[in-house]
Amino acid sequence: MNHTLSRWLRINLFNSLANSCISLVLISLCIYVGYAFVNWVALQANWSVVSNSIRIFMVGTYPADLLWRPWLSALILVFLSGASLGLVTRLTWNKGVVLSAVFLIGAWWSSGAFPLLSVLCYMLLTATLACLMTNMVPLCRRLMPWLWLFGIVLLCYLMSAAGTERWGGLLVSVLVTIIAAVLSLPLGILLALGKRSKQPSIRYICTAYIEILRAIPLILVVYSLWVLTPLILPQWNTPDLVRGVLGFTLFFAAYVAEYVRSGLQSVPAGQVEAAQALGMRNWQINTDIVLPQALRVSTPALIGNVLDIFNNIPLLFIIGMTDFLRAGQMVLLSPQAGGHTYEIYAFMFMVYMVVASIMTYGSRRLEDAMSPGRQEK
Amino acid sequence: MHHSHTRLFGGLKRGLFALRQAGILLVVALFLYWLSYSVSTGLAKNGIGFNLGFLSQAAGFDISEGYTLAWQNGFLPQLMDFVSSDTNIQALITGGINTIKAAVIGIALATVLGILICIGSLSRNWLLRQICFLFIEFVRNTPPLIQLVFWYFAVILQLPALAQSGQWLGALASRQGIYLPSITLHTDGLLGVQIGLAVAVLCLLCGVLKPFRSRRYVLLSVGVLALAVIQLYAQPFSISVPEAKRFSVSGGMAISPELAAMLLGLIIYKSAFIAEITRGALQAIPKGQFEAAQSLRLSYSQSLRDVVLPQVYRVVLPAFGNQYISLAKNTSLGIAIGFPDLFNVYGTVANQSGRSLEGMVVVILAYLLLSLVISTLVNLGNRRLLRTGARS
Repeated sequence: MNHTLSRWLRINLFNSLANSCISLVLISLCIYVGYAFVNWVALQANWSVVSNSIRIFMVGTYPADLLWRPWLSALILVFLSGASLGLVTRLTWNKGVVLSAVFLIGAWWSSGAFPLLSVLCYMLLTATLACLMTNMVPLCRRLMPWLWLFGIVLLCYLMSAAGTERWGGLLVSVLVTIIAAVLSLPLGILLALGKRSKQPSIRYICTAYIEILRAIPLILVVYSLWVLTPLILPQWNTPDLVRGVLGFTLFFAAYVAEYVRSGLQSVPAGQVEAAQALGMRNWQINTDIVLPQALRVSTPALIGNVLDIFNNIPLLFIIGMTDFLRAGQMVLLSPQAGGHTYEIYAFMFMVYMVVASIMTYGSRRLEDAMSPGRQEK
Repeated sequence: MHHSHTRLFGGLKRGLFALRQAGILLVVALFLYWLSYSVSTGLAKNGIGFNLGFLSQAAGFDISEGYTLAWQNGFLPQLMDFVSSDTNIQALITGGINTIKAAVIGIALATVLGILICIGSLSRNWLLRQICFLFIEFVRNTPPLIQLVFWYFAVILQLPALAQSGQWLGALASRQGIYLPSITLHTDGLLGVQIGLAVAVLCLLCGVLKPFRSRRYVLLSVGVLALAVIQLYAQPFSISVPEAKRFSVSGGMAISPELAAMLLGLIIYKSAFIAEITRGALQAIPKGQFEAAQSLRLSYSQSLRDVVLPQVYRVVLPAFGNQYISLAKNTSLGIAIGFPDLFNVYGTVANQSGRSLEGMVVVILAYLLLSLVISTLVNLGNRRLLRTGARS
């Protein structure tokens, strides 16, 4: 043991004079920073600032008497995410039961002293059960897109009781991300196909759309559409949420188009020719032969795109919406947050990291599951 | 007979094709016309018409920093400080100059930092590698806006006030701004010094350029020597160190807190992407390339410079171009911290004049132009690389 450790140290940290010096400096730096950080997190920081205003972080200014609606919505979202993770991870029955038991006990144990932790445990329990469900019931795999669609519609209906201008916090960040991601996908696919169309006019129009939208900043697109929508549709009183979603959808469709295009390029020409030889129609060739293969190639990039959308949601502040970051800034401005700036920023960074990690994990598993040489079961 | 038939058919086919293209374009044009028509009627209902005249009206507001172009005497514009009596278009120019300033500095430093981090993430030192990976993951996976806001509100604005700020290597960091030592040049009324400096700079420039490659070292050493002699006798260059007074600073180069936060945010955010791109490109190059170069008895630096790096550049440059455009676009986040970039100034102009639509057109065109310039420059660089490097 001692021998292997010293060998590992020699190979990885002290393999040359320069590296030894770098290692010594870095180790002392790590110890110093790590000690200061742990000391701050455990002893100096006052986390009650965060836990007291957790409602603002999560749902913004949603009316307090209707809070069961966002709770239920969050539960639906967690359920759907867990079920989707079940598509790409194998969770055995035994493992699932053990995990569920751990979360159940955790929830029960922490319900008195740490209500937030117990809520988190219940959420994780839901996700585990949903994951188990997808693994056990094969039908769920095929129904997943419809489950999402149904879930999102249900969620919007549930939340609509308070009027969209009261929606806010992390919930609105996640919701806008999902809706924009779902809507920009078909538009992006159409644009990508249009960019490869045999009709030069369609090709030029699609190329112009993609290039222009990719050259101007998102914040400008969102703001412009926010200004333009009521002018174009004066008879409808479009809420900010819809206008924001519209801006994100139109902007990210251009990016989706580029990712799908690179996928389309990877489909060998022989595939199309073979389909033509079989007498398939153009449209059928696209939907049945080319797109499934192209989308398979571009899936990692498309998931990266969803993360991109999520990371750009804070720009919604420009049209006055309260997303997670703006909710945090509201908390920062409140009088009881005085002197606790760093706790709030640390919490926000942590939440963003957790969401991003879940999505990166999902996309890695998906890549593994879809890599060539591994057949779908 | 048969021949004329096919010709007729071909003509018909071509005619149909052209007709279809025209039809598609017409539909899109009609759609755009409908959009602009409904916008103009929507505006007319509020008693506003589309009019670019506001651009030449006085702005009536101040911009915290930045220069504008002023046409005072003659045709050539001059760089001037922006004042509130300047016109709206001059305000937008100020915003544009600020955007370009932040973008150019950001692009240069993000590239350097990104490559350094890439080197770190490929190091043989395990700890350094892990730290670089952690940095890349953290920065890439959190929103750019929260990073920017963090740098401004939680770092720059929490620095000590000017009077209490300590000096470090001549630089001052305070919540009123960052002050760096700078080199100043005074050649007023010294014709000989001016001519000498011009000659020295010319020598140095020629030394760098390609046609004079054979005399590179002679030219460079003459230039350096000339500079040294001039400096020794006339002292045209002097280092100006910032000195803190109670409320202001004299000397040195000032960076406003907003610009400092903007640059920190942009550079750190983009450097993570640049590091990832470079790492991918370096790892994609087969090891055999380097080994083959070594077995041809090329030195380490030769194999790196003439064999490996040209291939890396070629893979990396288009991806860098995308990141550069994205960085330039990200300057528009300045509105969140009060940095007067193009979008921020546009917001103020739109508020003051009520002309959000006309301004929008101008700003969209400006951003299109900016992206076009960056991608053209990157393409030019790419073409040069393709010409000099070996084709694969």
